[in-house]
Amino acid sequence: MPKYLCLQRSLPMAKSGGEKPSPAEMQAMYEKFNAWREKFQKNLPDLGGRLGDGRLALPAPAPDGPFIEVKELVGGYMIVSAASLDEAIQIASECPGLMRPGSGVEVIEILIPPA
Amino acid sequence: MTAPLEEHFFRREYGRLVAMLSRRVGVHHLETIEDAVQRALLAALESWPTGQVPTNPSAWLYRVAHNNLLDELRRRARTNELAAAHELGQSDAESSPDPFLAGDVRDDLLRMLFSCCDDAIPVDSQLVLALKTLCGFDVREIAERLFTTEANVYKRLTRAYGRLRDVGFELRDLEPTELRQRLPSVRAILYVLFTEGYLSSHADGAIRSELCDEARRLSELLAEHPLSAEPETFALLALMYLHTARQSARQNATGGLVLLEEQDRSLWDQEAIHLGLTWLARSAEGDVFSRYHAEAGIAAEHCRAPSFAETRWERIVACYELLEQLAPSAIHALNRAVAVAESQGAAAGLAVLEGLEPPPPRLAESYLWSAVFADLHGRCGNPELAARYRDAALSSAPSDAVKVALRRRFQALP
Repeated sequence: MPKYLCLQRSLPMAKSGGEKPSPAEMQAMYEKFNAWREKFQKNLPDLGGRLGDGRLALPAPAPDGPFIEVKELVGGYMIVSAASLDEAIQIASECPGLMRPGSGVEVIEILIPPA
Repeated sequence: MTAPLEEHFFRREYGRLVAMLSRRVGVHHLETIEDAVQRALLAALESWPTGQVPTNPSAWLYRVAHNNLLDELRRRARTNELAAAHELGQSDAESSPDPFLAGDVRDDLLRMLFSCCDDAIPVDSQLVLALKTLCGFDVREIAERLFTTEANVYKRLTRAYGRLRDVGFELRDLEPTELRQRLPSVRAILYVLFTEGYLSSHADGAIRSELCDEARRLSELLAEHPLSAEPETFALLALMYLHTARQSARQNATGGLVLLEEQDRSLWDQEAIHLGLTWLARSAEGDVFSRYHAEAGIAAEHCRAPSFAETRWERIVACYELLEQLAPSAIHALNRAVAVAESQGAAAGLAVLEGLEPPPPRLAESYLWSAVFADLHGRCGNPELAARYRDAALSSAPSDAVKVALRRRFQALP
């Protein structure tokens, strides 16, 4: 089954509102995530994780370019296996950690060379 | 696969962590502590689901929250808050041994509860502070449960935090004598917490029982600790068990109220009744007879009665008389009148009411007051008076559920 790279992206225009979830809400989120994970167990070969600091290595000195901003926008990654891009998007969209106010997900197919 | 966490895990941990850290760095840092705990819980939420839940989640959270807190306190010390530096140097925060071994977490929870019940903090602020720090509800959730606005909850909290900041370091270790002095306030706040849940007209049953559960959980801690294990505490716990035992029968499937005489007594929780009676028996020692004893006694009579008709009303009357002496209140007198009417007839009940001082307007205008008059006048054969009070009761009923129950009750009248 084809695999897809899912990148969690913070949406700059919609700041998450600054509202901190209460402990009870955190519990609900935790349980929702587990339910989602259970539901798509076979589609989730790598749950990935959050991304920290990084640096772009280039063969020549880096121009001050658009590269810098990229890392700030990508919060985490995950690999999903699905029959199609649409299905992968569907799975990622149901993930409560990815789809929430101030966050969206970019889904990219990982191309595998034909055998 | 991630193991499911215990029920209310995040809320419980919030209370435990805030209590443990308050004990270690002082309750005057409460807001900073709560912030550190909040961030630790968020860190857990972010990292546990995708990886592994640690073998000891509580210890993991404590470590993270403790580090968050020390980082913040050190940062403040650096930005020339000399007082903070001084305190940090004095506190055992850095050298403290594993808190899960050093002391019972329950001790810390109780200590936090006693810190909330500072006489200098208004009672309504104490209640909100306990709900926030010990039960882990946030401002919005507290407002929803107490039927008030977020701004009001926030105002009450601010007052409490201000007081705790002022008290400063001295509060870190309340002396046993101080703890004993505060014990009545602690019981009072748990009683209020329980009543808020028990009498709540919130549409969501889970939310209604939540406050009762929290109150009972904290009262249990109180009853098990040598410092506060005394008959009054046992009576408080008994009344909570005896009331909650009947809770599920008080409402039908559609949320409508079911009156005591209509309740299916087989729905009453026999285990809770048993526990309530056990605590009540333990409360019957020493020479203190508190309002909790009286109220638990009344609840126990209802729980013991095989049916409404077979209730020992004369005992309930006696308990209400004692309760009125201990805590004079028109609502207790009203309840006594109802019990008198059941044991000696409606005319005797009416005579009790007519012998009373005029009740405060809030009660006189409430549906309860009018409903009892309507009922007793109806049974005494005064149809005009009964009709007048019936209309008054229906027009002041606070919810549709109450209105429906009242209509049903009035239809049964002669």
